Amino acid sequence: MNVAYFPGCSQHGLAKENDLSSRIVCRRLGINLQEIEDWNCCGATAAHSLNHLLAIGLSARNLSRARDMGLEKITTPCAGCFNRLKTASYAMKNNQIIAEKVQKIIGEPAPHEPEVKSLLQLISEEIGQGVQQKVIKPLSGLRLAAYYGCLLTRPKQISAFDDPDQPVSMDHLIQALGAETISWGYKTECCGGGYAASQTGIVYDLGGQVLKAALDGGAEAIVVACPMCQANLDTRQEAICQSKGETRRLPIVYFTQLMGLAFGYSPAELGMKRLLNSPYPLLKKKHLL
Amino acid sequence: MSETMPKPVASFFPALRLDELDDALAREIKEECGVDVELCLECGKCSGGCSNGHIFDYTPRKIVQLIKLGDRERLLHMDALWTCVSCQLCWDRCPSAINVARVMDYLREQTYKENVPPTRKEVALFHELMLGSVERIGRVAETRLVLEFNIKTKQYTKDADIGPKMFFKGKLNPFTSGIKKIEEVRQIFRKNPLRKEV
Repeated sequence: MNVAYFPGCSQHGLAKENDLSSRIVCRRLGINLQEIEDWNCCGATAAHSLNHLLAIGLSARNLSRARDMGLEKITTPCAGCFNRLKTASYAMKNNQIIAEKVQKIIGEPAPHEPEVKSLLQLISEEIGQGVQQKVIKPLSGLRLAAYYGCLLTRPKQISAFDDPDQPVSMDHLIQALGAETISWGYKTECCGGGYAASQTGIVYDLGGQVLKAALDGGAEAIVVACPMCQANLDTRQEAICQSKGETRRLPIVYFTQLMGLAFGYSPAELGMKRLLNSPYPLLKKKHLL
Repeated sequence: MSETMPKPVASFFPALRLDELDDALAREIKEECGVDVELCLECGKCSGGCSNGHIFDYTPRKIVQLIKLGDRERLLHMDALWTCVSCQLCWDRCPSAINVARVMDYLREQTYKENVPPTRKEVALFHELMLGSVERIGRVAETRLVLEFNIKTKQYTKDADIGPKMFFKGKLNPFTSGIKKIEEVRQIFRKNPLRKEV
């Protein structure tokens, strides 16, 4: 299956391991990711916060490049990029005035195709429990918190995937790999998003709640599908835990890194050395190294 | 005031009369955002679930009410515009599908265009620097962005503890490559100026 691939800026820097593991896992699953040529930033929170049409225009250029490739679907391993691309597609499809304005901005017909899917959605819908057949090293004994973050399943009008408040798709994938997932109420709470630099206190507050809930639920690691969630929970964890006198720490791993591990790839190939809170001690304890 | 209006009512509610409200803002929001605030059921699910409602000066439920009251000034100066995390829960939970997240974006956009000083100027600065990077090379140069932000806000030692750790883990890419057809991206910026043109 050929799918247009939008990596997003973080996957070239902060979250290279997200890109690496996504490519490895898709290759093993028979999903051929074709990177969109000359893609630009989706605009992220900055663009939609200050200018609606700028935000849609930036994403429209990407959708247009993907449309040129003649593929039916476009996927991205970042929940933020996913939300921006799909919001633009939704707006151009449902609002004729926006579509006309965008056409003037980008100088070509407003694209609302190909269909935008997050990588979690693509794998869940196209492969689903079929991932089990690729597992050669079951992740037995691991107790994990599946953390979807705010924009992967929300708002339902945009994502049109899974349950917006109590999603299960990532839990099912993790269970197919042989690990256990905890039941908790923070699956789709926000981590503080793009405020890591400009309002760090908000990330300590919101991210801290997510970490506490995962620890209280008995999770040994948090599994994520977004580079913002990963960065906020991983890089700010030390400060959050120290301020609360919390001595435990949680590795924050991408669901694709876990899939790769179960498919027999080494943690190093999957970029696990790049995580600040190392998953190695946990993997060693569970004989998964 | 009509002579048939019984006096006691007016004395109970001296400040507010629904028939005297200006619905210009509500109409503007309907036209620009496709959001009809009259559909609000006043259930409060938006505020109950709001990720940052606990620090908002006006919660989503109140924001919808302020639009109905036409209180543009209060809305353009509220702190909530700069602490909203854009998680879009308010839109998702609303039984009437009122897209409060879109309204927040619209109000912030107007605030910015009209040069109303943001209550949290670091948030606006971070957006500006990020968009500056996109306009310059088509993508976000994360490392440069954070350095620029810390220098401009004079927080020279901010994150001095995690910075080196992230560098040695390879998380801080010092060279972000730009896109080839940067003119296409710059054209999108030129056609959508952030500030009102004078």
